[in-house]
Amino acid sequence: MRPRRIALNAAALAVLAVMIFPVYWMVVTAFTSTADIQSETPALWPAHPTTAHFATAVGADGFWTFWRNSLIVTGAAVLIALVVSLLAAFAVARMRWKGRGAFIVAVFAAQMAPWEALLVPMFIIARDSDLLDSLTMLTGVYFMITLPFTIVTLRGFLAAIPAEVEEAALVDGCNRSAAFRKVIFPLLAPGLMATSLFGFITAWNEFAFVNILIIKEQGKRTLPVWLSSFRDVFGADWGATMAAATLFALPVLVVFLFLQRRVGTGMIAGAVKG
Amino acid sequence: MKHRLLAAAAALVMTAGVSACGSGEPPAADPTGAGPAKLTVWIMDGSVTGELIKRFETEYEATHQGLDLDIQIQAWDGIGERVTAALASTDAPDVIEVGNTQVAQYSSSGGVTDLTDKIADLGGADWIPGLAQPGNIDGRQYGVPWYAANRVVIYNKDLFAKAGIDSPPNTRDEWLADTAKLDEGGDQGIYLTGQTWYVLAGFIWDEGGDLAVKDGDTWKGALDTPQALAGLDFYRKLQALGKGPKDADEANPPQHEVFAKGKVAQMISVPGGAARVLEVAPGMKDKMGFFPIPGKTADKPGAVFTGGSDLIIPEASKHHDAAYEVVKALAGEKFQTELAKAMSFVPNKTSLAHVLDANEGTAAMAAGAAGGRATPNTPNWAAVEATQVIKQYMTAALTGKDAATEARKTSEAITSTLNSGS
Amino acid sequence: MPVAIHAPAPDADTGRRRPAPPTGRNGVRRDSWPWPYLLVAPAVAGGVFLLLYPLLRAALISFQHFRMGELIRGGAAFVGLDNYRELLATGEFWTVVLRTFVWTAINVVLIVGISTGIALMLVRLGRRMRTALMSSLALVWATPIIAATTIFQWLFQSELGVVNWVLTSLGLDSFRGFSWFANGTAMFGVLVVLVVWQSVPFAALTLYAGLTTIPVELYESARIDGGGAWQIFRQITFPILRPMFALITSLEVIWVFKCFPQIWVLSQGGPDGATTTLPVYAFKIARALHRYDLGSAVAMLTVVVLTVALVGNLRRMLKQEGAET
Repeated sequence: MRPRRIALNAAALAVLAVMIFPVYWMVVTAFTSTADIQSETPALWPAHPTTAHFATAVGADGFWTFWRNSLIVTGAAVLIALVVSLLAAFAVARMRWKGRGAFIVAVFAAQMAPWEALLVPMFIIARDSDLLDSLTMLTGVYFMITLPFTIVTLRGFLAAIPAEVEEAALVDGCNRSAAFRKVIFPLLAPGLMATSLFGFITAWNEFAFVNILIIKEQGKRTLPVWLSSFRDVFGADWGATMAAATLFALPVLVVFLFLQRRVGTGMIAGAVKG
Repeated sequence: MKHRLLAAAAALVMTAGVSACGSGEPPAADPTGAGPAKLTVWIMDGSVTGELIKRFETEYEATHQGLDLDIQIQAWDGIGERVTAALASTDAPDVIEVGNTQVAQYSSSGGVTDLTDKIADLGGADWIPGLAQPGNIDGRQYGVPWYAANRVVIYNKDLFAKAGIDSPPNTRDEWLADTAKLDEGGDQGIYLTGQTWYVLAGFIWDEGGDLAVKDGDTWKGALDTPQALAGLDFYRKLQALGKGPKDADEANPPQHEVFAKGKVAQMISVPGGAARVLEVAPGMKDKMGFFPIPGKTADKPGAVFTGGSDLIIPEASKHHDAAYEVVKALAGEKFQTELAKAMSFVPNKTSLAHVLDANEGTAAMAAGAAGGRATPNTPNWAAVEATQVIKQYMTAALTGKDAATEARKTSEAITSTLNSGS
Repeated sequence: MPVAIHAPAPDADTGRRRPAPPTGRNGVRRDSWPWPYLLVAPAVAGGVFLLLYPLLRAALISFQHFRMGELIRGGAAFVGLDNYRELLATGEFWTVVLRTFVWTAINVVLIVGISTGIALMLVRLGRRMRTALMSSLALVWATPIIAATTIFQWLFQSELGVVNWVLTSLGLDSFRGFSWFANGTAMFGVLVVLVVWQSVPFAALTLYAGLTTIPVELYESARIDGGGAWQIFRQITFPILRPMFALITSLEVIWVFKCFPQIWVLSQGGPDGATTTLPVYAFKIARALHRYDLGSAVAMLTVVVLTVALVGNLRRMLKQEGAET
């Protein structure tokens, strides 16, 4: 068995290396001096590490504003989606009602929504409701983009919590909402975190709607727009571009690493459902 | 009713969003007039140096009490979509710069303020026709000419001296020979990206071809003619004498930044490109020279695309009168003179042409301007540019695909785009 | 593609099915009238106003003459099926449809195949190696799409990109200065690598979670019976995880089919349309040509195509969920 073990570990290492390399390369490039970036032979490790690229990225026009806007819009959208989907997920996972099946299918189907085709209708709706150039409309759109799968996900996590736990609380004299608050909610915390993280990643990425819903108030644009047009900002400065990408990925990565243990276990529990 | 309902619903759903982001936002400008008005002006990237635009802003605000001028530099990438959205919005930017190949499309779509009765006030009698005509639809003037420019070759004097070339080339053959000589060691003979389509257009015109031709009422793409293919062939030879990427245009990365590093002997650019080089590398001062794009024979410089911009005021601007004042200042003699000097552009009026007399770059441009040409004159041309078929054709042909086949395919695409209704 | 999400297996509610005396069928009380409806009301309201209503507007636009002028001035005229007729008459549309299917098939097969491999590997690994691999998967999963797309532009850059350097170092000299983004097939390949790379973590981690639920005894008895690794997978692992495979596959089909930002940022559907899938096509028509009517028609047909492709899945879902009511 020994050689097989070694082969297995070697294969695992290879997979790990391939998976992680692009992220690694982003961070390394961000710290590598421009001269080294432009040398014929790329160095796997920055020989002369520098933080100059980060200074360039952070110093670029409006970086902090875009960063803040992204955080506000994404945070608000995920928060609303979380509350709304928790209610819906509870109804789906714990209650019997006419139309439940149709609702579930509708939620699944909503994931097929052709969002790129809704740009123009959304623009018209925003214009007619006087919501152009406002982060509110953007928040609403992101809320809706994340909602279907936050419902699906939360429902999974809820279903993973045995009904007996809740029944027991009800028997103990709690009413339904108290049972939810005191028993279900704490058990659901990892699921809520995982779900919000997934929602966060999705909304954090979006840029097509920003381009059409935020017109005049450029101070209300968000980070992905800025990053996706990075060549206008930095030209051929790959160091600064990678620094910008790192800063863009950072909030998500930090939250993810911070929550990873709980998210990991929560995800498995949710996926497997006792 | 529908709108009210929707707004109410949106408000319901988004209450949290509102409260979350309400604090950080500046109070919306009061459109009814009281208080300082904020005017938004969109200027395209590369039109004006940062310094000049800052100065204009400061001076304009100083002479117009209570006016806040917000000049935003727009990237070319995706600009069509943004201008359309702006024209269709209810609170558009007040002044927008649009390219002279695109102004016809916007003007014919509605949403642009008709400035016909202001022509006299703006001194429109001697506007240069290449800018005034595209902004004029059915006798109504929508676009106000801003500036024109055509491409010249900007060269690095040091590298020319190093290669022992003491006078700029006069014909295509000399140009190729000199460029080959300059393409030595770490230096690039010329930095020409693979998708610089208006340079290709010039070469095609030199051969007697065109991008598209009109036959009766229908347009036909013409990249597959022998003349056009000969133009491409020359482009290919020239492009190979440097390291310009074959799959990008001159904005990615910005070619003036590449040139500023001092390892590139020539680039094809409007003369104002030199000013942008100096923004990045002030040390290049006095090291840059200009010559017209060489033609097939020494007596006639190469044909060039006359580029330029018009200014428009969207119908949806909430400050038409104030916006007009800004347009008037931007198109007026004082700013035109400064702009022409700083960027080496051709001013919007023939009567101002003299301000360029002492400028080496514009002298080269004026020599080339004799052979100035325009893109096919139809509002649908903007769509051809937007679909980027010509750029993709160039990349395909330069990276080894069969040029004739690709040219035929692309011409068909151009034909169908130009003949589709709007 | 939307970020990978954790999704439950379709039999999500089995946890509740254990007998609980005071309740009705399936172990859950039938709830009094208003509550379930009140609970889903906000979600339904959001869906109606922010998804259904815009979708209907898009559908309406697809039956109108709606271009730049109409967007700006309003007053679009109804033209019936003209846009659809125009679309279906062009060969390009069918090319794009075909390409989208090829694109989806290649990606989904690779994603599901590689993920299954990694999941099976994870089960067999020692604790430390497994944690390391799972963390790297999680890291990739959490990398935002735009950042990842930017990274790939840099990796595959023609002059300084590390991919060309590696290939050249391996003796493949034709890759010196090779323009990945200029060649249709190469561009397509880069996009496949990008999308597969981003999608594998979700599928692998979910499948791994599923694998851990299969009792070890099942494997042991199969092994005693002399089953090889492949037989065990076919006869035990796959049947048990079939619902999970079905769900992952259909989610990946949706996500890959609809995949937009990666393609748009990296290639804008080029070069020469080689990476134009249906969503990119719709966006391109609307944005570049200002043919919002035709773009909407493409989008409507996209929804139809996707629905048809997944109709079996949807029906199965409705039946299953309905049975529990």
